[in-house]
Amino acid sequence: MNPDVRGWRMALTPEALINSSAPLPDVLGVLDASGYGVLQLPPPGDYSLLLAVIADQVEEYSHHGYAVVAIGVQGLPGNGLHWRRLAPLLRHRGIALPPRHIIRPDVDAAAEGQRLARWLDAYDLPVEEQQRWR
Amino acid sequence: MATTPPRKVALVANCLLNQNAKVCEGARFRGVVSPVVEALRSRGYTLLQLPCPELAFAGARRWWAVYEQYDTPAYRAHCRRLAQAIAPLIEGHIRNGDEVILIGLDGSPSSGVRFTSTQRDWGGRPNHPEDDWEIEPRRGIWIEELEAELARRGLPPVPATGWALDMGRFDEAGSRRDLEEFLDGRP
Repeated sequence: MNPDVRGWRMALTPEALINSSAPLPDVLGVLDASGYGVLQLPPPGDYSLLLAVIADQVEEYSHHGYAVVAIGVQGLPGNGLHWRRLAPLLRHRGIALPPRHIIRPDVDAAAEGQRLARWLDAYDLPVEEQQRWR
Repeated sequence: MATTPPRKVALVANCLLNQNAKVCEGARFRGVVSPVVEALRSRGYTLLQLPCPELAFAGARRWWAVYEQYDTPAYRAHCRRLAQAIAPLIEGHIRNGDEVILIGLDGSPSSGVRFTSTQRDWGGRPNHPEDDWEIEPRRGIWIEELEAELARRGLPPVPATGWALDMGRFDEAGSRRDLEEFLDGRP
């Protein structure tokens, strides 16, 4: 087999950011360059079963040494993160809520992309937790 | 869903956007499978990530498995729940007139489109040597259940292919060529 090169980090990301266009930065490109995987969140609307399915996946990752963050966008309801539904689903599963980074559409997209990249690069689980699993 | 101008939408297997979903030793990229994303985005497709059925069912530290081992009533019921979770989004796109395609993961027991993995005698102690499973032209179980759910909703079949990540020896150039032929051969 080839070596496994998984990055052990991933981001809950709204549909609007995965398929982003101006004035938003290329969030998917930034995630790729930073070695993060994606857990895509649905667009605004009632997707409670899908959010429960996503919460199940976050729970499983959180129990096995993976770092999960959330990236929202200012101006969308709940920053596009369905947080009012998703946060209770995660709490009921006993999971610490993922740290959140909010993209601002009203500032320079390139600068916002760089700000996101710095935030992503700086985040990971504590070293002892990484060593336990990775 | 509000009616919007038709779009090109690619349903993508979960691990094509998140390689952390793969079984141990199966991740070929850190996170995003960038050649697939580039091929789709450069042709104007937006992306809709499907849930990963194996991760939520058998876990992040699951053993490798073949089609026959996942072909159980409980796993199919789990896949149907996931299909019911994502189908409303897919249905919205199809009813809006969007061009919807599906990119699965060939060789996967769950997400295979053109091929899945098979080995009828796998079971018990997991001590089989690598590569003694075989490939057969067949959908994986998740794709079978997803397509069945879309059919139940009266929707037409979605044109589909697979990125050949789980075919034993991964041939990235060949996978890319296959995908581009599929995308560029569409009317």
